[in-house]
Amino acid sequence: MRLRIPNRLEDVFVALDRAERTLDGAAIDSGCRADVRLVLEELLVNTVRHGYPDGRDGRIDIHLDIRKDAVCLELRDDAAPFDPLLHEPPDLPGDIAEREIGGLGLHLARSIATDFAYARDADGNRVVIRFEPSLSDESPT
Amino acid sequence: MTLIVRSESPTPARTTVWLEGRLDAATYGELDEALRDITPLVDNGGTLVIDLAGLEYISSAGLRSLAQLRKQMHDRDGRTLLLNPQPQVKKVFEIVKAVPVAEVFASVAELDQYLDHMQRQITG
Repeated sequence: MRLRIPNRLEDVFVALDRAERTLDGAAIDSGCRADVRLVLEELLVNTVRHGYPDGRDGRIDIHLDIRKDAVCLELRDDAAPFDPLLHEPPDLPGDIAEREIGGLGLHLARSIATDFAYARDADGNRVVIRFEPSLSDESPT
Repeated sequence: MTLIVRSESPTPARTTVWLEGRLDAATYGELDEALRDITPLVDNGGTLVIDLAGLEYISSAGLRSLAQLRKQMHDRDGRTLLLNPQPQVKKVFEIVKAVPVAEVFASVAELDQYLDHMQRQITG
């Protein structure tokens, strides 16, 4: 699946539904589908909310590659430089009602992905993520 | 699929809210709005049970809503107990250590047992 979306929240959710249908069509198990959806949501929402502080129109390219033993996700955007791997993991004292809850989304995304790489080139930010369906917790449904 | 919120308040001491669908950056506002009407029905010191049996997915935006809800209840000496989290929701809770394990229950029977126990402690 290759998809280019504008930097708007409603388009993020169009992309999430497209990705989920693509994974479903390829018989990827429900656990891995949910993992991909969660990582996509956290990263795309973060980019849309924080990547364009000047309010300009942006573009995000999503490439989902389903292989025999892994699902690979590549995201490219023309947002402000942002390396999700440099973000400090949040402090997790055991009750989200009693602490600042910034950074949770990135922490989730990094925890769930099997591999996570970031690069920045002339075109902008590039994140490459790999998921291994067999490592998901759930059996296929 | 979006989010469906239903609730039942048999007594002022206990209200149950059922969540169905997805609680994410697109739907958390619906939960926040519904809860603005629901939480005042719970007495100070009461119990709000969130039944998650029908919730198939949660993201950090949903966690934030649940956190605010727990804080509101806590500020009124109330309790928020979570029931029946499904695999994806359970996994997310575990990764972010979202809620004390003692406040998550796998069944209504388990939850009732806990509440009876709390009640007995109060009445001696």
